[in-house]
Formats: sequence, C-alpha cells, structure tokens
Amino acid sequence: MSEDRRIGVYICHCGGNISDYVDVEKVREAFKDDPEVVVAETTMFACADGTQHEMIRDIQEKKLDGLVVASCSPKLHQITFRGVAKRADLNPYAYTQVNVREQASWAHTDDREGATEKAIGLVRAGVAKTKLSTPLEPLVVKTLPRTMVVGGGVAGLRAAIGLADIGLAVTIVERAPTLGGWVGQLGAMFPHDTKGHDQIAHLVAEIATRPSISILTDAELVSKSGSFGNYVTEVRVHGQDELVTTEVGTIVVATGFDSYEPEAGEFGYGIEGVLTLPDFMTLVDSSDGPLTYQGKRVKTIAYVYCVGNRQPAGGNEYCSKFCCSATVHASIKVAARDSGVHQYHLHRDIRTYGKYELLYTESRERGSVYMRFPDDTPPTVARTADGHVAVTVVDALTGSEELTIPADLVVLVTGMVPRDNTGLTDLLKLPVGGDGFYNEIHPKLRPVETVVSGVMIAGACQGPKTASESVASGLAAVTQSAGILMKGFAELDPLVATVHTDACTGCAACVTTCPYDAISMIMCDGRDVATISAAVCKGCGGCAPVCTEDAIDLLGYTDAQMRASIEGLTKEPVS
Amino acid sequence: MTTIVDTDLLSDLKKFGAADVSACFSCGTCTATCPLSDNDGTFPRRMIRYAQVGMKDELLSSKELWTCYHCGLCSDSCPTEADPGEFMAAARRYAVASYDKTGLSRILYTRPVVGSIIAVAVAAFFALFMYASHGPQDTASLALFTFVPEGLIHWTGIAVMVVMVIAGIVGVVTMARGVAQHEKLTLAGTLGDRAALGRSVAALWSSLGVESVGQRRYREDCKDDNPLEPLYRRRWLIHALSIWGFLGLLGATILDWGLALTGVKETGTPIPLWYPSRLLGTIAGISLVYGVTMFMVNRVRHVNRAAAQSTASDWLLLVLLWITGASGFFIEAALYLPDAPAWGYWVFLFHVAVAMELMLLMPFTKFAHAMYRPVALFFYALAADRSKQNA
Repeated sequence: MSEDRRIGVYICHCGGNISDYVDVEKVREAFKDDPEVVVAETTMFACADGTQHEMIRDIQEKKLDGLVVASCSPKLHQITFRGVAKRADLNPYAYTQVNVREQASWAHTDDREGATEKAIGLVRAGVAKTKLSTPLEPLVVKTLPRTMVVGGGVAGLRAAIGLADIGLAVTIVERAPTLGGWVGQLGAMFPHDTKGHDQIAHLVAEIATRPSISILTDAELVSKSGSFGNYVTEVRVHGQDELVTTEVGTIVVATGFDSYEPEAGEFGYGIEGVLTLPDFMTLVDSSDGPLTYQGKRVKTIAYVYCVGNRQPAGGNEYCSKFCCSATVHASIKVAARDSGVHQYHLHRDIRTYGKYELLYTESRERGSVYMRFPDDTPPTVARTADGHVAVTVVDALTGSEELTIPADLVVLVTGMVPRDNTGLTDLLKLPVGGDGFYNEIHPKLRPVETVVSGVMIAGACQGPKTASESVASGLAAVTQSAGILMKGFAELDPLVATVHTDACTGCAACVTTCPYDAISMIMCDGRDVATISAAVCKGCGGCAPVCTEDAIDLLGYTDAQMRASIEGLTKEPVS
Repeated sequence: MTTIVDTDLLSDLKKFGAADVSACFSCGTCTATCPLSDNDGTFPRRMIRYAQVGMKDELLSSKELWTCYHCGLCSDSCPTEADPGEFMAAARRYAVASYDKTGLSRILYTRPVVGSIIAVAVAAFFALFMYASHGPQDTASLALFTFVPEGLIHWTGIAVMVVMVIAGIVGVVTMARGVAQHEKLTLAGTLGDRAALGRSVAALWSSLGVESVGQRRYREDCKDDNPLEPLYRRRWLIHALSIWGFLGLLGATILDWGLALTGVKETGTPIPLWYPSRLLGTIAGISLVYGVTMFMVNRVRHVNRAAAQSTASDWLLLVLLWITGASGFFIEAALYLPDAPAWGYWVFLFHVAVAMELMLLMPFTKFAHAMYRPVALFFYALAADRSKQNA
C-alpha cells in the first residue's frame, strides 16, 4: 500500500473486565509513534451507544479509512462494529476486531505485565492487517423463484402449500409411490382425533388447486449443481434413465424418520403378541369395537415405553417425544371402545408435555395404570403356557417386588430413528449430528437453516417431532426460502477465496480440497487454471494453504495481511 | 418371588364404592396429611397403589385398611379428587367380602336391591320361625316369654351365635394369617416365649382396651376437626356411645341370663328400674340409640367425609342396630302400660327377630369391622412396639 492509511484504534476497558488485568493506557501508548494510526483511544465500553457515535464522528471528521476495536470476541461484537463502519460510510471490511478480553485479560489474570504485552501484540497484528485491507462489497446473486421440497410427508406437503401461497413455484420429490409419509398411514391422531390420512388427503386436495406445485413421486434426487439461489437438480422418476432437470432457488429437505426396529428378543420382540407402536396403531385403526388380536379379544395390554430411545451412552440417547402422547392417546381409543380393557403403561417417565398432559389424565380416568420402572431394572417379556405374554416389572411406586402382568398384547413403544438417506446426505452435503439426524445452524435462532446455503431442513429429519411440530418447522422453512427468493437476488459474504490466474499452474490440487465443490478448472489463455465460484465458496480457507504457488487468496484474510499480522504480533515489545 | 397381578382388582373394588380412585397419580399428599401415617403404617397411598397395580393379597393383608377412621383429611387435600378416604372405606368393604367365603357379604355390598330383600327375608324368617311356636297373648299383663317361649329364644340365639362365631373365626383367621405374613411375623415370634407373649398381651390390651373400648386414636383425631363439633356431636363420642351401648346391652343380657342360671331371678320376671341388669340395659340402650340416631342424622345431612357417601350396607347396620335398640324401649313402655297392649307382643317379636338377624349377619355386614378392626389394631400395636425397639 503506497498511500498512508488513516486508522482509528479503540481499546475497550469492558468496564474492568479488560482494564483490571491489562494496562489499556500502555496499549494505547504503543501506537503513539505509528503515523498511520490517526486516532488511539481507550473507552469504558466500546459497544456503548455513545462510544459508537464517537467512533462514527471520528471516522467522518478525521477521514479514517480503517477501524480497529480491541475488545471482546468477534462472535459477540464483530457485527456491531461492522455496523458502525457502515453507518460512517466506511467499508465494513476495513474493520478488524481484536479480542483482548478472552485472549489477554481473562487468560492472564495473574500477570498484568504479560497480559498487557500480549494485548499490544494482538492489537498490532490487527492494525497491520487493517493497513492492508481493501474495500469489499457483498456478492449479489440472482435467485430463482422455485423451491424443491424433498419428502412428501406432512411437513413437506404443508411447506409446499405455504411456498406456493407466497408466490414461489414448488417441486415435491417423494421417494414413495404415494404422498403422505407416516401421517398418511394413521387413523385418529392426538390430540384432536383428526385422522392422519384425512389430513393428508386434505393437503393433497389443496395442492391440486395450486398449479405452481408439481409433484414427482417414486422419485429420487440424484444430482445437484449450480450455486446459491441457482441450483440445477436432477431427479430420477420411476427408476428411469432419463432424469428430470429442475432449476431451483432453494431446497427444503423434509425426509422424515424411521421407526425404531427392535432387535430380536429385545423386550420379547419376535414373540407372538409383542408389537411395535406403529404395528399397534395399525391394529387399533383397522377395526371397530373391542380390540381383537388374531381373532381373540384383547383384555389386557402392557405398554413398554422408551424402546430404542433414551438408551445408555452409545445408543439412541435422545427422547422421541411423540411416543408417550401417541401411546397414551391410543390407549384412550382402546378404552373408549372397550371400557373393560386393562391397560398397564410401564414407563421411565411419561412425557405428555404441554397440552398433551390432558391425555394422560384422561387415560388414567379411563383406567390406565402407570408403572414407572427403574432404569436399571427394565421389564422382561416372556410367553406363558396359557397363551399370555407375561411382562415382569418392578413398580418403583410400590416397592422392589417383581410384578407379573399376564397380558394379551405387549406394545413396545418404539421411538424415532434417523432415516437412512446416505445418498441424499452426500449429495446435498447435509451436516449430520451424532444422533444421525440432520443439524440446523442454531437450535433456537436458525432452526431450519443448514450450513449449506439455500438448503433447509424441516420435520423429523432434523430430530424427533410431533406432526404439529413438523408442520411448524416446514412453515419456518417456507419463511426462510421466501427470505432468500422473494427479493429475486441475495447478498453473500465477500470473504471468499480467489485465484490469481497468473500464478496458478493448473495443478488442480485445490479442486479436491474444497468441501463445497466451489473450485473448477477452466481454460484461460490456452492453459488450465483453477477458478472459484464466489457463490458456492464458503470462505473456509481450506484451499489457500494447499496451493504451492500461493496463487489463492482469501479475501479479507489475504496472505499479505496474515504475514503482516504475524509480524505485528511478534515484533519486539517496546519497553 | 413375583406377584401375578390381578387385572380385575381395581374394577372389582369400584363395585364396592371406590369410584374416583383411578384419578390417583400416587403423589403421596394423602400420606403426608394422614394423622395416622407414621413409621408403623403408611397409607393410604400404598393401599391405592396395591389396588391400581392389582396386588390383591397385599391389599387384603394391609393392617392399615382397618386402622383408618375415615377422618377425610386425605380426601380434602387430594389434588386429583381421587377421594382416598372413600377408597379406604371401599377397600374395607371389599376385604369383608373377601374374608367371607360364602359370597353373602359380596351380595349385601354390591347388590343393594337383592341385599335389602335378603335383609327383610332373614328378619321375616326369624319372626315366622318363632311365631310358629307362639303361645297365648296374656291380656292382663305383658307375658312376653309366654308369647314367644324363652327356651326358643335362648336356643335360637345360641344357634345364631354358633353360626356367627364360625363365620367370624374363619374371617378373622384368614385376615390375621394374611396380615402376619405381610408383617413378616411368625407364630413363634408372637407367642413363642415369655417376652413375645408379654408383647402380644400388651398389644391385645392396646387393641381391645385402649383403642376398641377406649377409642383413644379416634378421640385424638377429632381434636383437629375444623370446625370443632360440640361434644355431643363429635364423631368419636357418637361411635363410642354406640359401642358402649351395644356392649352394655350384651352385658345386661348375659347378666340376666346369669341371674336365671344361678336361680336369683327367672327370665321375664318383672323387676324395678334400679335392678342392676335392667339399669345397665336401660342406660346402654339410651347410649346405643343416641349414637346410632346421630350416625343416621349425619348420613342424611352428609356432615363429614365419612358420611358423604352411604351404601346400602351402611344403612343396613344402622337400621338393624336402631330397630333393636328402639324397639327395646317400646317394649319397656308396653310393660308399664295398663291392659298389656297387643302391639307390645308384636314389637317384642320384631325386636327378637331383628336382634337375631343383627348377630347372624355380623360377619357379612359392616358390623364385621367390630371383628376385623381389633385384629388390625393388634398388629398395629405390635408394629409400633417393634419400631420402638428398633429405634
């Protein structure tokens, strides 16, 4: 940089969090001889409104072209001070946050001198990096007003309707030959006894009235290319070789869950009269009047809860949270049809949370008996000579004595497990959590977005959900899609990698490094060189160190900036 | 050792009146509130749990069933309105029906119409049986034992007592064996040596003397009544007067019989009011009729938790006791009236028939609590003694 820079440095006390352990005045003093540091100030709270105004005034009056705030972690306030720069008409990427709180004062509370010295080095590094900063502008990409919904269960169908209603075209891709997923197979569901297949029929009828929704069943997404807001997808329908190509702006993944399949012998699974929850629900919904199983009236039912869920470390440790309510509701349906039926619920805590608590109360009023068994003493299930299935359990409320319930039917209350979607997961590069479900960016604040821009997750593919929660997350994905697609364009972070074509030798080592497939080889002036799609690049920096020719730079963190930072950090301390 | 649960237990219990107990979610507020609940007995939560789960034997062998006085505090504090107090009452009815092997008790408790017909039929049988051997009705003075021969009454009474005692012993032994097993007591440990025998005698005194006749805990429980009833309406006193009255009348009858046996006085001889057996009988009669009347008034007015719900069996006992007591006074009156009124003879016949029925049905009606409660209180006293020694 030939021209001298005009940089403002602000060192924050953080009300004592920093200044108690770091001599902030000494940090300020360290820059008094730097001609390019025009302003060097200390401040009680850099993030305070008044300080922000002072910074804006300084930037404007003293014509600053770089800003450094030495305070806390960039996770906390980088956006705050980028905003300050923006409001003062300074390019936000001319701002550098230096973390002297977590990295100096808090880390070295026993060494004021050392902490101060370290803080000076850190600020110097920040200043050095800022001196070499160049103005960066957000990348603007056009977006396509179409969303692909992968999965035609209740979450996907409802999301499709929501997307269509705000003016986006939708393509639903469903692997099964028919729409509806799990809910489509269910009869009366909790809490309001509306039938699952009726609800799906209603959604499908609604979809039929919306021409902007197209449906591909018996279909599988096989490829995705393009960049954020402009994806090109290919779908294989009915197993045919010819693929259906669709260009979409966003993708909503709503692929649902699988029901846990117990192992042979797990709580007697495999014995006649031992059913999983989905099988039991099918049995209940397939007839009227008193429940029968294989032609015989069912007089006593024992439910064993938490099968395949809340397992010890290494297993499925999570709770599927729908199964308590679903089972309690099913038991009410059974009791309503036969008041003489005996129902024993063997559980490890009943989690009919929120309004579903009323179902629990109703089931008890209808005669259901709840028995909590200790975690280390699970029930055992065995066939008896007289044709019953005997469930032996220790009821924590009664004592340590074993009780044996002669049941006609034992229902293993099986929870949700992640569906095996390896192909789709690899194709979309979806992040998978330790539990096997897809991960969102932030469980509270960004619950349906994934780290893959433009790809949302909704419903139980993200983790166990009730049908209503699945629908809610489907509609959240609608909002997120709308946020990206309704403007017609999107702004992306400019902190991406670029290739210096002159220096590139075309070795292609970077191409395989990129986890986002952002790098490709092109012909330029008769030779192969690498090029990076700014829309696809996430700015992770993975490619830069791979390049032997130093032909790749990460904007905002260029090699020159990083070298200058290191030199600033390691410069001899002023004494 | 695993217990096979009785899946029908809870629905069966509901036939005996435990209508709301399914609402119980075992929070234990009842146990915390219960003035009787201590180290030696925790209830009623545990009993309700036995019922819900289907642990029939454990329920029937719980001494706590019979130590409850139905003060109603548990029902007042129950957050789910499961009415634990009424459950305990229903479980006692169920226990009486279960200890009785004939099935008569179950009918009396669970089928009010059939039960009432049986009650009337039994009284009618005794009346007709004795009327069949009746003598002349003396119009000059009321010669009751000429009308119904004294020997007939005597031997019928003995026969009734024998039936009652046999049925009673079967029930009490069934219960006592169950409770002893539940409490992990052996016969040797209870009666085996001098020390054990001493403890058992003390427990027996506590059960029969202090509690049954003295009504100690019942009295203490009433201290907490809110609002505090005037003494003459307090539950313990009404109950005590009924017991004392009944025992007094029994004593007077035995005394009268004793006097006849020893030749001091022949049964039926007119005697003045101050005569010991008569004086005792009169005072006891007043006591019984007062107590039973107050119980009936309470039930009509639903004055407390215990009187809030009434079954046919509750009324059967009260009505039989009241008729026995009140008709006695009508006979007294008839004795003093000139010209020996003819209704005096009929009231006497009625009196004797109902008294016979009262005794005969004792092991099958609510009256059975007079047999089972002392057994439970005996085990309760033993348990209290044991926990005192362990402390």
